[in-house]
Amino acid sequence: MKFSGDVVVGLEIHVELNSETKLFCSCPRKEKENELPNSRCCPTCLGMPGSKPVLNKAVIDFALKLCLAMKCKIAPELIFSRKSYFYPDLAKNYQVTQYELPLGSEGEVALSSGKKVGLTRIHLEEDPASLVHNGGVQQSASVLVDYNRSGNPLAEIVTKPEMNSADEARDFMKQLITILGYLEVFDVNNGIIKADANVSVKESGYSRVEVKNITGFKEIERALNYEIARQKRDVSEGKTIAVETRGWDADKGLTYSLRSKESEEDYGYIIDPDLIVTEITPDWIDRINAEMPELATEKLKKFLDDHGIEETTAQVLSKDKKLAEMYEAVSSKVDSSLASKWIRRELPRVLNYQKKTLEESGITSEHMISLLTLISGEKITEKIGQQLINKLGEGPYDVLDYVKKEGLSVVAGESELEILCGEAIQEAPQAIEEYKSGKEKALNYVVGIVMRKTKGQAKPDVVMKVLKKLID
Amino acid sequence: MSNEQIVSEVESLNKEYRYLNEVSIQESSAKGKLSGVCVSVKDCIVVKDMQSRAGSRVLTGYSPVFDATVIQKVREQGGTIIGKTSQDEFGFGSFNTNVGLGLNIPLNPFDKTRCCGGSSGGAAGLTQKAGFHHIALSESTGGSIVCPAAFCGVYGLCPTYGLVSRYGLMDYANSLDKIGPMAKKVEDVALMLEVIAGYDEKDSTSVKHEKEEYSSFVGKDISGMKIGVIKESLGEGVDPQIASTIQEKIAVLESKGATVEEVSLPLNNSYSLAAYYLIAMCETSTNLSKYCGMRYGKHESLEGSFNEYFSGVRSEHFSAEAKRRIIIGTFARMSGFRDAYYIKALKVRTKLIEEYKKTFESYDVLISPTMPVIAPTFSEIGQMSPLDHYRMDILTVGPNLAGLPHMNIPAGFSKDMPVGLMVIGNHFDEGKLLQIGKVLE
Repeated sequence: MKFSGDVVVGLEIHVELNSETKLFCSCPRKEKENELPNSRCCPTCLGMPGSKPVLNKAVIDFALKLCLAMKCKIAPELIFSRKSYFYPDLAKNYQVTQYELPLGSEGEVALSSGKKVGLTRIHLEEDPASLVHNGGVQQSASVLVDYNRSGNPLAEIVTKPEMNSADEARDFMKQLITILGYLEVFDVNNGIIKADANVSVKESGYSRVEVKNITGFKEIERALNYEIARQKRDVSEGKTIAVETRGWDADKGLTYSLRSKESEEDYGYIIDPDLIVTEITPDWIDRINAEMPELATEKLKKFLDDHGIEETTAQVLSKDKKLAEMYEAVSSKVDSSLASKWIRRELPRVLNYQKKTLEESGITSEHMISLLTLISGEKITEKIGQQLINKLGEGPYDVLDYVKKEGLSVVAGESELEILCGEAIQEAPQAIEEYKSGKEKALNYVVGIVMRKTKGQAKPDVVMKVLKKLID
Repeated sequence: MSNEQIVSEVESLNKEYRYLNEVSIQESSAKGKLSGVCVSVKDCIVVKDMQSRAGSRVLTGYSPVFDATVIQKVREQGGTIIGKTSQDEFGFGSFNTNVGLGLNIPLNPFDKTRCCGGSSGGAAGLTQKAGFHHIALSESTGGSIVCPAAFCGVYGLCPTYGLVSRYGLMDYANSLDKIGPMAKKVEDVALMLEVIAGYDEKDSTSVKHEKEEYSSFVGKDISGMKIGVIKESLGEGVDPQIASTIQEKIAVLESKGATVEEVSLPLNNSYSLAAYYLIAMCETSTNLSKYCGMRYGKHESLEGSFNEYFSGVRSEHFSAEAKRRIIIGTFARMSGFRDAYYIKALKVRTKLIEEYKKTFESYDVLISPTMPVIAPTFSEIGQMSPLDHYRMDILTVGPNLAGLPHMNIPAGFSKDMPVGLMVIGNHFDEGKLLQIGKVLE
């Protein structure tokens, strides 16, 4: 391949699909709370002699959604192969994966700059067990194996080497996470996402280095920045960049050599004879297409063109499916600029503070509609609105009832206000004197008295107006 | 017979002939088609809480935590399991002489200087010798049911691939492995097939085939049946006395109203052995990877790196033939060789199946000798090269590659040793095999 960029990056990303059960057996996929090691497995995911794999078809639906969202060509058949290598995390010393014919091929993902990154393939495979090194990978004298994760479904996404910086790689991962979130095929909060990155720099003549096992998408940018700098520094110091595989040590923030790669590993692939060929029919693809949600890019376009909301806000809202959907529901009832402002800023602020997801908080579009309708109708002040949403963060309640019960509505009628203002003037003769003698600010004290009397429901500027009218 | 009597008979037989790797009684409380029947189980089929080793030392001490589907079905029909029968290690042989390290080689029931055939040799020998009502569960990858059945003079039926669940079968070559019954009477073969056949959601390659009453085929008239005699199987390389025994039986079938013609299967004759051994070895070299001394079976004290540890366990506890097949199978699927061997063998297999399917457009069943020789003596076997061993399967690998049902029928004797006739049916035509079997009884 001919490269011209200063830096060339390609990614291989493993995404754990959030099916109920594992890829080839009926063990639960999801980690249970406080589960013991090796408690979520059966003869099949332990590779016991005589056990056989049976494909979980729900996973194919998930993978098809992913392929379609990334504009892949879909293979007419799903075929699994055995990838043979000996490693203690592999229950059978081979991994069931796809080889000749991946489920999806030739896809693409648009970065936020509009640049498109091509995908070589998307395929399904089983997750190995997890290895537990007491005291860290490089120090531990022994390794323990936990098969709870063994057999979990993974989608492997392989990009073309078309990214030219760590920043682009991070952006790619952000776009990917957004798509995964929209498709609801990945548990954004607890799911595992891992990447291997191929990195080369112009100075070395694009000598290809693979950095393996970067966990979490924020780590990818760190690892790449380190590795790009390392390669450039080594070249400038006259060292050659070897074609090799390196590991990423997240604690130390550096990559280290795992093995040189003079010859490609030979996995001796054969078709897995325990599994049958699954035909991916046009009807099946049609059904998945019909189930596909509107994706972030489509939402963004709609928010900008049809709703006319501010660009950054539109981007933030469209990135998160739940927020975007809530915004759409709320903006059908209240002003879209008010709705977008509150759902972009106030709601995430409260969720962040409470350390809850939107789902966990129980805050619904109806809550937001009630709240924002009160604000836009000037029934309550924005300040009261903030108190109400803070309270929603603690737990859902009926906003309208609460406002009524607590008497939080704005004392909007000026006649009512005039009475309260009159009382306040009586109670603060000194401040009134000062005001009359030209100290404009002295009136703030009187406004404060009125606000206390109204429990904060009044609008301060209106109070000020009424006070001035009464005094003058 | 009481359990004690059965155990004592099996144990004394075992002392003399070494048919079982494990003698252990598990009774069923259910009442059904197999009530009062003793069932021996080839070592490669897992039985819960009964040491199951597939004839290999590497699985010493492995006590399965689950039953194979066929075992579950046997229990549901009231069968009594009596133990695990001897086999070539993982099924790697035609004489049951390639047993795992430290395990015994079974002796032919007609001549103790000769082999039982393989790889289900223990099952065949025990079936011939048992004085109680007994049916064996055996398994075939490339002929491992009919070969020993022929050498020991019993009936052995290898069903259509997918008819009987492989769940719980320790794999030799998954695309070829089939579980089937062996018995002294055709009726018992049919009875056991009725019990074990059927779709199983735990085996992806299991087929949804309508349930059949196999017993109803036993004794059914064969007049009008069209029989093809495989020409290549009665010529060069086949013991002339075996050929003439088979010819006599063909005459019997004609006398019962069947039409007999010679057919030729040139592709199978030339390529089935090569295709079979490549596919079987490629698959098995991946299946055997799991035996690394980590989770079950033999393990050693933990020393050195993982690579050193598992290499040590495998070097020490696999026999020479297992290592040979791992090495050949791994070689044939390496990049650079994969297309020339593994992929080509898969393509050849498709061609061979087409040749059979075309032949079955004109014939109900095909007939050949099961084996080209009578059971060889242990000293003869000692003189054979690995390739001579593999050539023994020339007549049986074809139907196994094509997943076709085939059955050994005892046909007579040559030099006082049993001669077997093999009848091959189209997919799911087990019934016709049973018809022929009864007619030739």
